[in-house]
Amino acid sequence: MEKRGRGGKPSSSTASQPPPPRRERRPSMFEREAYTQILKERLRDSIHDVQYVEPPFDDSIADLGKEWKSALAKLKFANSYRMEPLKKFQAHSVETKAQQILKESLKDVKYDDKVFSHLSLELADRILSAVKEFGYHRYKFIIKVLFIQKTGQAINIASRWIWDVAWDSWVAVKQETETYVALALVFALYCE
Amino acid sequence: MEEYHRHCEEVGFSADEAHNIVKECIDGVLGGEDYNQNNINQWTASIVEQSLTHLVKLGKAYKYIVTCAVVQRSAYGFHTASSCFWDTTSDGTCTVRWENRTMNCIVNVFAIAIVL
Repeated sequence: MEKRGRGGKPSSSTASQPPPPRRERRPSMFEREAYTQILKERLRDSIHDVQYVEPPFDDSIADLGKEWKSALAKLKFANSYRMEPLKKFQAHSVETKAQQILKESLKDVKYDDKVFSHLSLELADRILSAVKEFGYHRYKFIIKVLFIQKTGQAINIASRWIWDVAWDSWVAVKQETETYVALALVFALYCE
Repeated sequence: MEEYHRHCEEVGFSADEAHNIVKECIDGVLGGEDYNQNNINQWTASIVEQSLTHLVKLGKAYKYIVTCAVVQRSAYGFHTASSCFWDTTSDGTCTVRWENRTMNCIVNVFAIAIVL
């Protein structure tokens, strides 16, 4: 009895009123298609691309490495019982050396587009070989070199990491001139 | 003595997953925003921290370093280079460049394998 009554009412109400003007209801965040729509709207003015990806996805090189790796896994090495690196990474000596390299190579160098693109690579390689010469065994290194032209814009650089705090460390050196700023970052990670 | 079994059996760094993660983080933080001097510190920090937490959730035995540079968009020159000394079969890197009307953002992810 109640059901019939309820069924009767809605039909009469819609017939009597003209349908209200359709307002666009903003889709809620919980609907999946709506989320991508909103995201697309917000990102209308932005573009992105992936610059560089390693390891190279060339089949031959990748397969070679993996075969060797799996063979190595079957071959068990005897335990060396070494819990820590022989020579711990000393940040201060690397910092002075890197600062010296930056100062020497950037003495009286003015900002120039073409020169700087390969100067940055050359500097990175040079700092890498200098750090290797220190003789920290079983350490892996990452060197980052940045050149920023001074034209009155603001730049913000941040880094975070997850590593073993006991043995891994980093060094940052800066060289500033009238037209540009050079920044070199050295990360050293112990390979257990 | 039992041997340690890894969570996932893949060998090598998956750059696709890393760049998806990083792109989503940047979109979430900087999407639709204009360059703002007050917030920029907070944005760079949150991009980097969020990317790192998501990368760790992949569950692989890797050490990660994430670097982010956000620059206000104008006429300027910017060069960056990196040189690495590592095991090329297991370690890898991925760079994502993102831009909108008022800023440029470059995020670099380095992943170094932990040998267990």
